[in-house]
Amino acid sequence: MHMSDSLLSPVVGGTFWIASGALIGYSAKIITEENDNSKTAFMGVLGAFVFAAQMINFTIPGTGSSGHLGGGLLLAILLGPYRAFITLASVLIIQCLFFADGGLLALGCNIFNLAFFPAFIAFPFIYRVIGGGSASPEKLAFGSLMAATAGLLMGALSVVLQTVLSGITELPFGTFLLFMLPVHLAIGIVEGLVTWGVLVFIARTEPSLLVPSGTAVHPRSTFALFAVLSLLVGGVLSWYASPQPDGLEWSIAKVSGSSEFRPVSEPLHNALAALQQKVAFLPDYGFKSTTESLRNPESPVNAGTTLSGIVGSLSVLAAAGTIGLLLGRKRTEAERQ
Amino acid sequence: MRSRLHSDDSGTARHERATPVSLFLGSDRSALIVTVLFVFSLLSVPKFNLPGVIAFGTFPLFLMFATRLDVNIIVKRLLQISPFVLFMAAGNLVLDRNPVMTISGITFSGGMISGTVIVAKTIISVAGLLTVTLCIPFYRICSALESLHVPDLLVTQLILLERYSSVLHKEAQAMQKARDIRSFGRRGKGLFRTAPLLGSLLLRTTVRAERLYRSMSARGFDGRLASRSPANMSPQEWKTVGLWTLFFLVLRLIF
Repeated sequence: MHMSDSLLSPVVGGTFWIASGALIGYSAKIITEENDNSKTAFMGVLGAFVFAAQMINFTIPGTGSSGHLGGGLLLAILLGPYRAFITLASVLIIQCLFFADGGLLALGCNIFNLAFFPAFIAFPFIYRVIGGGSASPEKLAFGSLMAATAGLLMGALSVVLQTVLSGITELPFGTFLLFMLPVHLAIGIVEGLVTWGVLVFIARTEPSLLVPSGTAVHPRSTFALFAVLSLLVGGVLSWYASPQPDGLEWSIAKVSGSSEFRPVSEPLHNALAALQQKVAFLPDYGFKSTTESLRNPESPVNAGTTLSGIVGSLSVLAAAGTIGLLLGRKRTEAERQ
Repeated sequence: MRSRLHSDDSGTARHERATPVSLFLGSDRSALIVTVLFVFSLLSVPKFNLPGVIAFGTFPLFLMFATRLDVNIIVKRLLQISPFVLFMAAGNLVLDRNPVMTISGITFSGGMISGTVIVAKTIISVAGLLTVTLCIPFYRICSALESLHVPDLLVTQLILLERYSSVLHKEAQAMQKARDIRSFGRRGKGLFRTAPLLGSLLLRTTVRAERLYRSMSARGFDGRLASRSPANMSPQEWKTVGLWTLFFLVLRLIF
């Protein structure tokens, strides 16, 4: 599932570099605060384990082909989400730099698709909820299967979105999705079964390794989840937004016969309108008219709407975060006084 | 640790006779920055502009010859180009059949051009990246990353991973060989028989990690192998980055 540079546009690749870089920085901060050096050595060797384990192939029943362990979920179970994320990111960096497996621009996307989903979504919200801390083999099996499959499917969906957003391929969104999801569903089931097999072996021979990690995902990761969801809604679901006028425009149209107010030709209004035209780099949630013509009218995919959605979501997050930070500081100062 | 890394024999084999890439790309840090700029500039070429993509081949080609790197190493890696990329290129070939140009009576469709651009971009970007990374030892790449404010923890993780992947690789190879000798075809290679084997490798790994941690602690390990404080970019580095940026801009403007 490693993406190549040639399928990505610099905007999409750059955005995911920033997203993955921020997640690496945040995870590193959390781990450094823990100050548990023994796990640092464990992370390094477990990263090497993932590389080595991928050499050991097994036959996939009914297909005649063979596969190998991916390791994302297993790392999250053994190390906790933050350390697993850093370990997986390091594996992907080495694969990119020395094995040409995944491109340099695509590194951010690959880290996001292959490390973020198993470590920060599948492990805390699926595996831990179903099988975490339980000795029951059935729960362990179900949890591993569901988490590995969901993690891989989310990664595959993300690959499709990133590729379609980049606009390099001619494959339509629906067709591409229909190709990717069933393949990764099968791979996810196999990954889940192998992970479960390894966990059962460890539970029998060295159960201390499966003691839940101290670094649980707390409300901050719920914030991360909401951030991802808002980006997806803003970036993708906005393509399918209704082209019909909203309630206010509809009311104005009924009353005045036009969907917008007639412009007032006063100097102040004109100056403000001119300023707005200059400042608004994505007018009406799309690109300015010169680039809009590049859009395929039959496709719902609209890069301008996507960029508007993502920029909008990030702006709201930044504004809310800044206000929260300022209020928090004020409160701390007031408490000190 | 660093001196051992310097002389390691890991799978990430480097060309011994390569001329230091620093002659052309400045410090390791500026080499990494120039490589990132190269990839971004190459990928900003529109999907139907084949000459524009080919023009960027000058960067890896120049470095390969200037550093006297064994081209076979790059070619071997390029032959393993992701099947996913080839699939996407083939998709363009089938889905976009609009004729866009005719040369000597042969008509080329839009899909043929954009599919070729996808493959060409992959080959050129991978060749550029590999040329730079094969010329700079891994520990120096890690130092450069550190000086670019990559978190210490990630740099330490990369150093440990690179060092121990070769050790565990040998261990996994031995296990795989032993199983192949005893399995007679596919027998014993099923999914559920492989899981205990992987579990066993994991247990050996943890034992090794424990030994490693004890020996590192005895030598004063404080959780970081990366310890140099990041310095600001020197004027020479800015000059190198600026010149290459100008070169990439010129390529984008001309083609």
